[in-house]
Amino acid sequence: MGTETVQKASDLERGMKMLEYLERGPWPSYVTELKRTKYPIEAYAEGLARKYTPWLSGSFRVRYVFSGILARRSRDGKFVEIHFRTYAPAGRFYSTSYLRKVVEVAKRYGIGLMEFGGNTGALVLNMIAEKADEAVDAIRTIMGSDVGGSGDTFREFYACPGPALCEFALYDTLHAMDYIRSHPAFYRYLNTQMFPYKIKFKFSGCPMDCATANSRADFALIGTWVGAPEVDQGLFRKMVEEGKINPKEIVDSCPSKAISWNEEKKELNIDGSKCLKAMNCIKKAFPAIRPGRNRKIALLVGAHIQGHFGPKLARAVALLDSVEEIVPFATELINKYMELAPRRHRIGDMIIRRGFKVISEVADKTLPNKTRGTPSSHLRISIGTNLTDDEREMYENWAKQVTSEYFGGGSGSR
Amino acid sequence: MFMSFTITPEPRDRMNKRLPVPFSAQLPEVIRSNYGKWVARKFHGNGIIEHISETGDRVFTVKVGLPSNSRVSVDTLEKFIEIADKYGLGVVRATRGMNLEFITDSLDKALKIKEEVEKLGFPVGGWGTSLWHITSCTAYLTCTTAVVDAPSITQVLYNNLKPYFTGEEKLPAKLMVFVAGCTNSCGGTLAGDIVIVGHYGQAPRPDPERIKFCLPSSSEALKKATPDVAAVCPVGAIRVFGKPDGSVGIEVDERKCIACGRCKNVCDYFDWDPTKIGVAIFVGGKTSNTGTGPRLPYKVVPWLPVNPPEYREVVAAVKKIIDVWKREAQPGERLGDFIDRIGIDEFMNKLGIPRTRHNRCEETSWNFGVRQFITYM
Repeated sequence: MGTETVQKASDLERGMKMLEYLERGPWPSYVTELKRTKYPIEAYAEGLARKYTPWLSGSFRVRYVFSGILARRSRDGKFVEIHFRTYAPAGRFYSTSYLRKVVEVAKRYGIGLMEFGGNTGALVLNMIAEKADEAVDAIRTIMGSDVGGSGDTFREFYACPGPALCEFALYDTLHAMDYIRSHPAFYRYLNTQMFPYKIKFKFSGCPMDCATANSRADFALIGTWVGAPEVDQGLFRKMVEEGKINPKEIVDSCPSKAISWNEEKKELNIDGSKCLKAMNCIKKAFPAIRPGRNRKIALLVGAHIQGHFGPKLARAVALLDSVEEIVPFATELINKYMELAPRRHRIGDMIIRRGFKVISEVADKTLPNKTRGTPSSHLRISIGTNLTDDEREMYENWAKQVTSEYFGGGSGSR
Repeated sequence: MFMSFTITPEPRDRMNKRLPVPFSAQLPEVIRSNYGKWVARKFHGNGIIEHISETGDRVFTVKVGLPSNSRVSVDTLEKFIEIADKYGLGVVRATRGMNLEFITDSLDKALKIKEEVEKLGFPVGGWGTSLWHITSCTAYLTCTTAVVDAPSITQVLYNNLKPYFTGEEKLPAKLMVFVAGCTNSCGGTLAGDIVIVGHYGQAPRPDPERIKFCLPSSSEALKKATPDVAAVCPVGAIRVFGKPDGSVGIEVDERKCIACGRCKNVCDYFDWDPTKIGVAIFVGGKTSNTGTGPRLPYKVVPWLPVNPPEYREVVAAVKKIIDVWKREAQPGERLGDFIDRIGIDEFMNKLGIPRTRHNRCEETSWNFGVRQFITYM
């Protein structure tokens, strides 16, 4: 018992020293932010020193709320930590009046800490356990938002800033996100944990995909167009003369070699049938080259990292004319998903188990006469590694070599 | 100051979700009147961007780097709110890369915002050919499944790579770094330029006493359904069996295990050896359809030791990858496109990393994203 307490004290001390080191750098430190609040920093410091997460999942319930509240207790039972995921406005624009209300709630019911840009799109508030019940109502009445987006429900939807700030947006992503989130077909699942695993929707305005829909969303809606990009020859010529753009560079940067530059006529030609919608030329020569007029929304499904069979990219389903068209498809597919997929399988895993046929059958029924994509087959990537001691030593040696290259002699480990 | 309010009298109302204030209520007047009318943009140094509308209106956004995991205290947020009210249009935006954007209507005010936030210690930058962001999951801050601590790795990386963020040192193209504490990769997409993922590096060991909380109480119950712990394993390395005395036992086959950590997702009572944990580094993925299109990354470094708080091994490996790319890539070529051009074997040789069964990368042709529709377009 005696030695154990000594060991613990030294863990905490070592951890606090590490935190001091993390506060020193030129980048604003999160440790400084944590220290300004009532966050149980000792638990974190101890975990850091032991290389072991200090938290175990706790049970905590607020009556009639089934999503969005996460509770943790520390392994030694000394600390609790509660955080709420709250819905954020589309595009994550926060007016200062809204943020003042967030501050008010975070001060009155929380420990004064938040995760400002959570990875799913939610604003995460750290709360005090005793006040959690009131905090839910406070978030609704003061902030005008709600808790939600954890467990096997819809995670917070995410849209790129779209037409609010960006000239490339090919459809109204913000409106699309609000439309889907408030649609009765999806709204009923917001508080009910019924799916085998989580479902994510992401909305990207153009093929540059600022919402990372291609790799993170079960339902990815990406703005695109049919045919070649539009070229304003006069404007393009003018931009070339002014030296703003180099036509050769634009021809070279095209991944499908669909562009050719006629030096005599000073004319840029784009072959629409070859165009891969990579937006390389548009990015370089906007607004002389613009996306085509025939706008569509590409619907892709089944991308995720977390799931049974490892990370996957999205697969193409159909080209839609408007966001409303996805509703029957998505509801039907979600029903199928609930029926077919075992627990902890994402839609992408279901595709691997059952084949893409599952998706195409639903698409045939709900999206008749829509142009379809050709889904690619997948390379399997495993993230984790089960190494032998020899292999571990091999990589340790490489690490020592690189470390000495950048930090000078010694392994640099403490 | 704030008016008092009454708690919802009927808690059952909570069954009906309240959706957040519509986004249009959050937008300032200039953006609302120019919604969808933007025609051009201009860069004023790294970190300040000007959006020009067809009506002639201009809006300036200033991108500010937040602490790792975008952890902000209320005090700091209040200071941001003051700045946004004083010099901005009363609106801020949280970006996907866990940074913050201030929006204002003139260059002078934008420069003023830059000055003010830099006074608070927050850097401005992260656009164009630079480091855009290092995204991190919460790991040891709140997470129960974390293997390594992502926020501290992010902090150390940011400290070392700050010149790339502020634009003092140039990169060939944009660079996005994601750090995740475990193989669930909540720290962002796996398809990032450089992705650092913590993992166990070994098969998990069930905690002999507490693992029973995750197993059915008797071997009779085992006949009716497979417990979650065994069902989630993608390679079938976890075997749950009934013992003759009626209790339930569990066994992990170390040779089959790929250390993906999915059993840990459904059951907390697995243990690992803290000296064997490490990070894997993935390189060259992206989601954008530009260049060679969306692609998953290559696993170039399957395991590196983690030594908080300096994480020298991780920082050195990331710096080495960036240096190889910076030295040899053509302008505008993202890391994934660069690796595609020279080949993954060549890239690994340049890193000098030993190759084992864990980073045996196959070259594949990638045909994902919007280009899957190409035959119809």
